[in-house]
Amino acid sequence: MVKVKVNNVEIDVPPGSYIIDAIEKAGFKVPLLCYLQDLFNEATCRICIVKANGRIVPSCRFPVQEGMVITTSDDELSKMRKINFELVLATHNIICWNCYRKGSCLLVSLSKELGVEGIPVCSECSLYGDLCLVKQGIPCLGPLTIAGCEAECTKQNAPCIGCRGFVSSTSTWRNALRFYKENNIKKEDLEAITRIFWPILPSRFQNLIREVYMQ
Amino acid sequence: MSRVEISKIEYAIETDVLRLVETIISKHGCNRSKLIPILQDIQNELKYLPRKVLEVVSSKLGVPISDIISVASFYHQFRLEPVGEYVFQVCFGTACYLRGASNVYEALKLATSKVSITVEKARCFGCCSLAPVVMVISTRTGEKYIHGRLNTNDARKIALKYSATIRK
Amino acid sequence: MSKYSLHEIIYGHHDLRVHVPISSCTLATGAQEVYRAIEDYIKRTGVSAEIHRVGCMGLCFLDPWIMIAGKNLPPAIYANVKPLDVEKILDRYLSEDLSGAYALRFRIDDKDYGIPLLDDKPEWKYQVRFVSRNCGIIDPESIDEYIRTGGYEGLRKALKMKPEEVIEVVRKSGLRGRGGAGFPTWLKWKITYEQKSDEKYVICNGDEGDPGAFMNRLLAESDPHRVVEGLIIAAYAVGATKGYIFVRAEKPLMADRLEKAVVEARKKGFLGEKILGTSFNFDIEVYRSAGAFVCGEETALIAAIEGRARPRQRPPYPAVSGLWGKPTLVNNVETLAHVATIFQVGVEEFTKYGTEKSKGTKMFCVTGAVKRTGVYEVPVGTTIKKLVYELAGGPIEGRKVKAVQVGGPSGGCIPFNLFDLELDYETLQAYGAIMGSGGLVVIDDSGCMVNVAKYFTDFTLAESCGKCLPCRVGMKIMNDILGRIVNGEGDVSDIEVLRDLGVSIIKTSLCGLGGSAPNPVLSTLRYFDNEYREHIENRKCPAKVCPKLVTYVIINEKCRGCGVCARQCPANAITGAAGKPHYIDSSKCVRCGACLISCPFGAIEKT
Repeated sequence: MVKVKVNNVEIDVPPGSYIIDAIEKAGFKVPLLCYLQDLFNEATCRICIVKANGRIVPSCRFPVQEGMVITTSDDELSKMRKINFELVLATHNIICWNCYRKGSCLLVSLSKELGVEGIPVCSECSLYGDLCLVKQGIPCLGPLTIAGCEAECTKQNAPCIGCRGFVSSTSTWRNALRFYKENNIKKEDLEAITRIFWPILPSRFQNLIREVYMQ
Repeated sequence: MSRVEISKIEYAIETDVLRLVETIISKHGCNRSKLIPILQDIQNELKYLPRKVLEVVSSKLGVPISDIISVASFYHQFRLEPVGEYVFQVCFGTACYLRGASNVYEALKLATSKVSITVEKARCFGCCSLAPVVMVISTRTGEKYIHGRLNTNDARKIALKYSATIRK
Repeated sequence: MSKYSLHEIIYGHHDLRVHVPISSCTLATGAQEVYRAIEDYIKRTGVSAEIHRVGCMGLCFLDPWIMIAGKNLPPAIYANVKPLDVEKILDRYLSEDLSGAYALRFRIDDKDYGIPLLDDKPEWKYQVRFVSRNCGIIDPESIDEYIRTGGYEGLRKALKMKPEEVIEVVRKSGLRGRGGAGFPTWLKWKITYEQKSDEKYVICNGDEGDPGAFMNRLLAESDPHRVVEGLIIAAYAVGATKGYIFVRAEKPLMADRLEKAVVEARKKGFLGEKILGTSFNFDIEVYRSAGAFVCGEETALIAAIEGRARPRQRPPYPAVSGLWGKPTLVNNVETLAHVATIFQVGVEEFTKYGTEKSKGTKMFCVTGAVKRTGVYEVPVGTTIKKLVYELAGGPIEGRKVKAVQVGGPSGGCIPFNLFDLELDYETLQAYGAIMGSGGLVVIDDSGCMVNVAKYFTDFTLAESCGKCLPCRVGMKIMNDILGRIVNGEGDVSDIEVLRDLGVSIIKTSLCGLGGSAPNPVLSTLRYFDNEYREHIENRKCPAKVCPKLVTYVIINEKCRGCGVCARQCPANAITGAAGKPHYIDSSKCVRCGACLISCPFGAIEKT
């Protein structure tokens, strides 16, 4: 047996185990994304990173060593997990309002766990089975607002006014703007409601609106 | 998929190409680890790797086509598209880049847009003292010519020189 | 090499011996044509002469050079020889007129020919030719010449020792991996040696992918047997039976010469069964890679030999589980050449040079904006200033050196004010660069550092294998941001994003490629923050390089209206009547710079 220390908890694991096994045995959790125990273990997403003897390593594919000291979370780790998760979102086609997963997906739960503000309110809205207001032609800020508010607005059947703030993921913006356009939300209305985020619309966002609405 | 596209993929592989592929595979042995040398030899003969040929290699070696395309698209040496009469490889090493390889590249692209010449960016040739460098490869004869210390005007002259030798 | 054997090799047994370097770099400058011209000359004049094919000295700025050694005359080196000059040069040399020669290899008598000695030239004087001792002197395709210079003596000595003793010699030498990271060579050997396995492999990593680094190519093309010998010694020490030399297919001459060396060594009994009468069996295969930068990484290199692509997470390290799951030792070309030389001439010769922590010499390629580009072998710990200014001759007239980029796409930029730094593993790392394979690209004031950073992210982006997320997506985002900055669309917040993202990519990437890919960006951010700010805040490129931030204008007073520029312009952006000042339409201009080069009156300027 190999003796390791996970967040000050001493534990014995069989030799050849990966760090993740030790962490789970010690009763801790790390966020996981690409890891599928025996099916896929190539350490590609780098979300499950931990510190082993002070060095950042992927817990899913790094073997334990005798006397290893493992830290599962600190400021640096959470910052890097967050960055890496944002990189996942940057390449993901975020269309929660049209997604068949209806908000019950790994990305939504991980974004809440890691505090990444890249997923829009629609993910929660669809979780409750509410009818999409944008699809009814009502200018709702759901597609552009950070998730996490438990979607009070829609529970009261009112359009989202964006009080949680603007989603950070640029890939979401374009999709959202196209969605507004498809549902005949007027450009002027859109500009009016998004003013809640900024007194003057930033030029990059304004250009995007123009670009999408010109197509 | 439109009908035209289907017919493009379904064309029968020519028998001499098939025989060539078979000889190359038997030379190296039917072994996954020989995949890269096999693809190198096929490319030497055919100048690029047609999809259909990759499928033949896949069935012969018993390696999924996805794996073969993964290897073929990963390494720079392999081409998945046919090439022109000449290939102009513009060196994009650091020294060449700093001395204006991108301008030379653009100039060559512009000057060869209407003729059968492929212009591509290449990795460092290790001739950094001649920067910027263009290597011209004749796909017909396999001969290589190196031109060094170029500017955009020289590049255009080179493009004209080689375009003139292409048979119509 | 003793003076006697050097003399013997240079003069041969003819009245006249002409040495012509045949290697990739000299061929590119026309050495083959020069070779033919000399052949013609010998045939025509009937002089008793011989052409000796050699490798390259590493003084690339002389290419193509030749060295002539005639009876009772000192051997003279001629630089930048053109086929048409050959006759004149040889005629003059034979009539004892050495004018026009670049340098003398050595003197044979006291007669003064008015030509300096190569040993007195700064680019040669400060070098310590340890592993490159044979480069440019012997015929790389002849095993006999290698043996005559003491070749395979090292192997003989090693085979008389026990493997542990061989490893002990390497430990004493303090040799560290010359491929970049500087891992102690003996430790790698020891770990591989200690593994119990029916089969072990040794691999020579010749996948030199850094733009601006070609010392491995030069070494293997000019003295391939040294590499082969080193690999055999390594195999004996760790107990391997099969070796691979991994070479890029883009460097065909290097692969051909190594292949030939292996065949010759096999004929002489240095490879195969029962090597030199011992019970040690070993053979080598030269493997031609299809070219991918990431293959310089051990695990990706092994995957390539197995017919796959992409690196994998370490541990297990290749020394424990590598090729086909067996213990595998991977060493760089230069490291192995050092091993062979250390065994030939003894450890003391090696440890004489270098610093406390890293012994010996290292080959550096100096390219870019310097007068004398080339490969220089100097002791580890030589200062950047000495290498760039004394050996490489400093910047081109009228220019100022701004920075030097060390270590290729994984390294960083060191600014001019830190040129007193010593080139060794730890110092460079502390200042945000790496030793890497040892490529130094000198950047002068005509280079834009943001553009250079963008160039390197273009490179790593294209070379990323796409397996792990930080490198695949992170580098793409860094590249996008830099693209915005060089186009004058950057935002002040971008700098902070680049920094955070860069650090995160370095710390969380799977392999060494991602683990060092942001270095060029981070180091330029560290030392050339002002250039970034200039691009972002003032939308200006101080070096006038970034195309979107530069406009070409015609100065009316200087323009004579000749129309040359208008004819050269590929975009038809220049208009004007004959004899009248012309005008550039900047909306049409593609910023190729053709007009600037072609204007006979210097009337076009970049602003």
